[in-house]
Amino acid sequence: MTAFMAVMTGSLTWLGPLVPGSNLDIFSLFDLHQGGIRWQRHRRQIVDLQPLTQSIVGGKRKDAKEHTEQALAAGVGPEAILAALVAGMDEIGGRFQRNEAFVPEMLIAARAMKEAMSVLEPELLKAGIRPEFTAVIGTVQGDLHDIGKNLVAMMWKGANFNVVDLGTNVEAERFVAAAQEHQADLVGLSALLTTTMPNMKATIEALKAAGLPKTKIMVGGAPITQEFADEIGADGFAPDAAGAVQVARTLMAG
Amino acid sequence: MRRNEMTGQERVRRMFARQDQDSLPRMESFWDDTIRNFQAAGHLEDPNVILGSDFQSLCWSETFPYPGQRVQIAEDEETVTVRDAWGQINRYWKARTGTPEHIRFPCMESSDWFDTIKPLMLSNPPSVSIDEASRAMAQGRRLGRWCHFTGLETFEITRHLMGDENAMIAMLEEPDYFRDVSATVTDLVLKDWDHLWEAGVEADGVWVYGDMAFRSGVICGPPLYREMVWPDHKRMADWAHERGLPFNFHTDGDVNAVVEDYIGAGFDCLQPLEAKAGMNVVNLLAEYGDRLAFFGNCDVMIYATRDRDAIEHEIKTKCEAGKKTKGYVYHSDHSIPPSVDWETFQFIVDCVDRYGNYD
Repeated sequence: MTAFMAVMTGSLTWLGPLVPGSNLDIFSLFDLHQGGIRWQRHRRQIVDLQPLTQSIVGGKRKDAKEHTEQALAAGVGPEAILAALVAGMDEIGGRFQRNEAFVPEMLIAARAMKEAMSVLEPELLKAGIRPEFTAVIGTVQGDLHDIGKNLVAMMWKGANFNVVDLGTNVEAERFVAAAQEHQADLVGLSALLTTTMPNMKATIEALKAAGLPKTKIMVGGAPITQEFADEIGADGFAPDAAGAVQVARTLMAG
Repeated sequence: MRRNEMTGQERVRRMFARQDQDSLPRMESFWDDTIRNFQAAGHLEDPNVILGSDFQSLCWSETFPYPGQRVQIAEDEETVTVRDAWGQINRYWKARTGTPEHIRFPCMESSDWFDTIKPLMLSNPPSVSIDEASRAMAQGRRLGRWCHFTGLETFEITRHLMGDENAMIAMLEEPDYFRDVSATVTDLVLKDWDHLWEAGVEADGVWVYGDMAFRSGVICGPPLYREMVWPDHKRMADWAHERGLPFNFHTDGDVNAVVEDYIGAGFDCLQPLEAKAGMNVVNLLAEYGDRLAFFGNCDVMIYATRDRDAIEHEIKTKCEAGKKTKGYVYHSDHSIPPSVDWETFQFIVDCVDRYGNYD
């Protein structure tokens, strides 16, 4: 069992194996005291966050919200809860890439994540925890297609990126303005049509001309290939929404 | 045998039966902008006539809840927002073709379906016209073409009514609702075909459209497909087979994972086999060619380059593989894009003539 577990103090978080199935008030610690060893029964509530992670994987939005509320009520730190949620999205993303899960399963997982985040987000803000990276995403000018772009946006949000969705038919200048305004770490460009692919190149040129040294650019969409991405100077390409998370993380780590 | 020793109808029938043909049957699809470019360059002919298409559609069965409706509800310089016959609110380009932006769908909740849309659809008359189908049939027979009923299948209609996101979620969370929509709209499509068939419009086959996949795989996984959609696909194929008609299925994207399911449902042919999604007719023919015919797969991304050597190689490879099984129809892997000019299209036709004939 590799459950995420947290102790109610919020200061102590296990990210590794612990007592399988344990969740309440029975965790005893050795306490060295006055030269002797005695058992001290700490009245600290142990919250197993694995069910929360699994509620995301299974797309159980009601459960995800309830587990999040319970963890917060038990004093689990919001960061630990967020880690459990992101672990769930990672799990479903991995299944998607292995063809063990498909778009319906991804959608309900993303929706469960959204539901949990509606409870967690205010607590994260209070604790001064904000997403580490900001991504701007949109479909390039001339293209009104949005399904793939929406899926990637959902997955990025699930991976705890702050996502600014510019919608469809986005001119290069709007991408540049949004990247500057939000100090974007990442810009995602989507296109469905072969006829709008050249607008990806124009947008990348505009972003580079604007001098945004830390901003990485990713491209995707039905006609897009790695070769085309390389040719137009994109930093990354992903063939699907789950892959877009991995590529984004790699770019951010680099 | 040289082309034109057979009619298109005979050629396609023999293709389905894996019997000798004079040439591969053929057809092509085009983006509207491509046709406009051809016309702007002075070429007003139907490019499918130039190619020598063997196919004639008799009807387009679309079981709208609001037949004929197209209400404009907003407009700006470049786009127009419209509520259409499906009850969808979409934003379209004024001067360009392309996929619209979807704003709202008629079935946002199951109650929309049960209370409003289902009763409306059930009360509507057939969506196909006997007169129009009869005229198309007369034209098709005159041109010697293989005449087919055309329509949308249930997965596509369901997504039109519910939207992708709602439909996908309903498959998992409200399966009874999804199945009710799917079964009902399938009933309506079959009713359309009955309407024509019983009036004596006897097609040569059925061609059904429904996009089931993205470039990287199927939209819903095989188990969910089998449970939620496959029963209605089988009903459609059964309707055709009960009348001795072959069943051709169109889907974009990578459907490699469900080809066996399609064969199990009774599909006779699969089209258009998107190359950029990883569909490869050479492999598909080798694996399934004795049980399923294939239609398309010539890569429009290669066509868009206008590189004649690459185009010729693409058409030659696909046509030669197709001829070996006698169960192949020439078509691109989607639609000819506007970047293909008239001269390049002429070259494509030349290549199909050169490599599509059985010598």
